[in-house]
Amino acid sequence: MAVLLAAVVLIVFAEVGGASMARFKVELTRWARGVMLARPAVHGLVGVRDVDERILDEALVKFDGGLRLFHIHAEGMGLVIIATTTVAATLVRSAPARPAIIALLTVGGAGYPVGYLLWAALIPYVGLERGKAIAEWCVWIPFGGATILALWWLTGVVALRVVRR
Amino acid sequence: MRALVALTLLLAVAASAGAHHVGVYTPRDNEITTNFKQIKFSLQARKFDVALRLFEQGALRAAMREKAGTLPAGLEAGTLAALRSGDALEVERRLMIFFAALTRELAIEADHRLADPTLSPPARAATGQRFLEAMWRYYNLVDFAVSSRDSKTSTAVRLAFDEAEGDAKTTSASEADRLRRPLRRIAQILSNLIDTSSPSPRRDS
Repeated sequence: MAVLLAAVVLIVFAEVGGASMARFKVELTRWARGVMLARPAVHGLVGVRDVDERILDEALVKFDGGLRLFHIHAEGMGLVIIATTTVAATLVRSAPARPAIIALLTVGGAGYPVGYLLWAALIPYVGLERGKAIAEWCVWIPFGGATILALWWLTGVVALRVVRR
Repeated sequence: MRALVALTLLLAVAASAGAHHVGVYTPRDNEITTNFKQIKFSLQARKFDVALRLFEQGALRAAMREKAGTLPAGLEAGTLAALRSGDALEVERRLMIFFAALTRELAIEADHRLADPTLSPPARAATGQRFLEAMWRYYNLVDFAVSSRDSKTSTAVRLAFDEAEGDAKTTSASEADRLRRPLRRIAQILSNLIDTSSPSPRRDS
């Protein structure tokens, strides 16, 4: 039940995120632009409109992209959690493996999309590359790694069952 | 042995988890380059009334007015007159001068910024690269017009851009100042182009 709840909550966050993105697009863009303009050194702004407009545009496009990717990944990973944990609960019989795989799939799947939200939030404050590095090491690599590890583990277990038949 | 295998697997997993998709940015036109393209395509379609309306209401004319002090005298009025008389070549020549002036202004500003001794070599390289991108965005719009009137100038500007882009990648402290040379050359070549193109059109091709 906890797994299902986590997946449904993730999908709910995805929908709320998507709706908020559309509803508050102007406000979000204005906020991000304001934060970036307050930190010219972070973004390499030089004070020349023809040069700075492209830097700001790229950061704003990526900021918007981060929010969109959170929406898409949260929706998708919610479904992935439901599908993969169902397979694990049905086919993995050994006691230590089953809860471990289910926990990894749930925690990894629910945490991974948050990395995109974190990246988008960090862009105005620390810039594109630094924001990406922080999101990578804090969220994408640990949570994405947990999901990939669990999926390979599950694949191995299922393959073993097929071979033993 | 098991530990080694486990470590290899973990590294492979970490590498896969890090290879996420974060989207690709394609630089967009600004209001000036957009307006230029609209006018250019209207002229190519021989829709002079449309081109005139786009110029009268667009960002290009506003920028010409804003930068009138650094442009050859009468550039805006001449462009307007050429549009009204349906002289596409004259409009092209005047827009070429305008974009050459914008590029020259950025080259001079870049040279000025890069002279700052407090800039670190990586910051100098990044600033130089950004100025070059902004300069190229304007110059590449009129390079064909420049080359059809003065192929030597067009080649010289493009060579200077190539040199500057190569130098922008140099981040060693001893060579960081090299980028200023091609920038000054671009500014000089474009000044000559503006001077020779402004009184009467020069055609050597």
